[in-house]
Amino acid sequence: MPGSNRTSGAVGSNECEIVITRLFEAPPEFVFEAWTAPEHLARWWGPDGFTNPVCEMDVRVGGAWRIVMHAPDGAMYPCRGVYLEIIAPERLVFTNIAVDDEGTPVLDGLTTVTFEEEDGMTKLTLQTRAVALIPGAVEKLAGMDTGWSMSLDRLARELALRKENA
Amino acid sequence: MAADQLSVTLSALADPTRRAILARLVSGEASVTELASPFEMSMTAVSKHLKVLERAGLIARGKEAQWRPCRLEAGPLKDVADWVGHYRRFWEKSLDRLDVYLREMKKKGKSHAREQ
Repeated sequence: MPGSNRTSGAVGSNECEIVITRLFEAPPEFVFEAWTAPEHLARWWGPDGFTNPVCEMDVRVGGAWRIVMHAPDGAMYPCRGVYLEIIAPERLVFTNIAVDDEGTPVLDGLTTVTFEEEDGMTKLTLQTRAVALIPGAVEKLAGMDTGWSMSLDRLARELALRKENA
Repeated sequence: MAADQLSVTLSALADPTRRAILARLVSGEASVTELASPFEMSMTAVSKHLKVLERAGLIARGKEAQWRPCRLEAGPLKDVADWVGHYRRFWEKSLDRLDVYLREMKKKGKSHAREQ
C-alpha cells in the first residue's frame, strides 16, 4: 500500500505518488528560472485566482523556501520546504510541507522536477510523493483545490467511521 | 472520478448552510422541519438547499408523502475527501498557470524580464 498508490487514494490511505508530464513552449533555462526565481514563481504558483503575498526562496542545497498562498475567499495556505538537489536547468528536488492554522504539518511531500530539452521546448516531469495527515489534509487540500475553505474534517472523519462500521 | 460530478458536488458544498445540513445528517436521517430548526430561514429556503444537495447526490429523500426524511449519501463526499485528487489538481492547476505565464513572458519578448 505505501507509495504504490499512483493515481488515487481512498479515504484512509495516507501516502501517494503522483507523476505529471507537460510540454512547455520555452527552453529549459527559462522554465527552470520560472521555478527558481521568487518573482516568477509567485506569479503562477497555485490555482487560478490565488496570489502568493509571501514567496521567499533560498535556492541552494539545504536552503529553505516559504510561500503563503492567498485563496480568493481570503483563506491563507502556508507551505514550506527545503531544497535537496539543484542542477540548473535540469533538475530540482525539494520537500514541500503544508501546515494547518496552528503550524502543524498536514502534508509532507518530496517533489522532483526534471526539465528536458525537446526541439527548443521543455518536457517537464513532476514527480511527487506525499504523506498526509488525514483528515486535516483533506480540508487544506480541498481549500487549495477549490479556492474556498470549509470544514470537512468532521464529515470526512464521520464518513470514515461509518465505512468501518458498515 | 468524474470531474463534472465533482464540480457539482463542490458547488453544492460551497454554501455554509448546506454544509451545516450535511453535518447534521451525519448523526442520522432527519425531516425538513428538523433540518430547518437551527436556521432562521423559511421552509422554502431550506427546501431549496435540500434540492441542491439532492441534485448533487449528497442526500437522498424518503418516499413517504408527509415524512420525507433526508439522509446522507456518502458517495460524492468520498471524492471530495480524496486528498490525492486535490493534491494532483493543485499541481495540474499550477502547471496550467505556468504555461500561461511562460506564454505571456514570451509575448513580451523579454525572456528574463525582472520588471513585470
